[in-house]
Amino acid sequence: MLVEFDLIKRAQAGDSAAFNEIVVVYRKRILGTITRLISRPEDVEDVAQEVFLRLYFSLDQLRTPEVFEPWLYRLTVNAAYDYLRKQRRRQEFRMSDLSEQQMVMADALAGGRADLDEREAKKTRETVEALLGAVSEADRILLMLKELEGLSLKELEKIYNINENALKVRLFRARQRVLKAFEAVAKRKEPVRAG
Amino acid sequence: MHGSVDDQLDALFRAYREACPAPEPSRDFMPQLWQRIEARQTFAFSFRRMANALVTAAMLASVALGVYMAVPHSAASNSAYYSSYVEALADANTIDTPDIVAPVRLDLSEPQ
Repeated sequence: MLVEFDLIKRAQAGDSAAFNEIVVVYRKRILGTITRLISRPEDVEDVAQEVFLRLYFSLDQLRTPEVFEPWLYRLTVNAAYDYLRKQRRRQEFRMSDLSEQQMVMADALAGGRADLDEREAKKTRETVEALLGAVSEADRILLMLKELEGLSLKELEKIYNINENALKVRLFRARQRVLKAFEAVAKRKEPVRAG
Repeated sequence: MHGSVDDQLDALFRAYREACPAPEPSRDFMPQLWQRIEARQTFAFSFRRMANALVTAAMLASVALGVYMAVPHSAASNSAYYSSYVEALADANTIDTPDIVAPVRLDLSEPQ
């Protein structure tokens, strides 16, 4: 826990300064999670504010401060879902689109706008986002929380309110789909390397 | 083979995590958040006030209707409270009802 239980209790009692402090402590972590969940940097702050807005109005429903972090993650996941649902035209980086994106990136590079590290980072982001396009929105978020946010199964259990076995099955299936897509990409790259 | 692909995927996820650092919140983050909270509170407050007004109006209307129903409006409405059938009949056929009981006319003149 990044904050004391007492601070949460004070915020629950309507102490604005305590709530402010909680936001300051958690906002960077939430911004990071949302960045990875929605893949649209321009909307990240807006979604993060929505998370804290929901937190403010639902804080009195939190029974025990011990479950604050899973609760905050649940709010984050729900806000990300809602955002993606609204977007509808989710960024489906299909496999076939990858080459086009790489061309755009090459153009940017030709203009000298990105250095090598940034190019690599961008390529990684695009590849992972394309791979995660192989699974449903729900599984994508679940997989991200597990693989990228590093949440444990226990934490995910609390967030999703489902038992560990069901969670494991869902994660396994999602990972298998991503793995399959990854293998396909790797196979496509091989002849290029050979050439 | 599958194991190595698994490892590669893990490595890719790790690289992705590094390639997606948490952005620094803008300076407007907190002011904007409080603006949104206040806007939502104002809306919730107006909504609650409107709901309260509606509930009060509905309660007043119920009380008024109850009073209206409780107050007797005509003599006929009292019939339910008569203790006997005879009383009810007497009330329904008052003495000044001409078609039931005609006024008596006494002819006191001597017959010729």
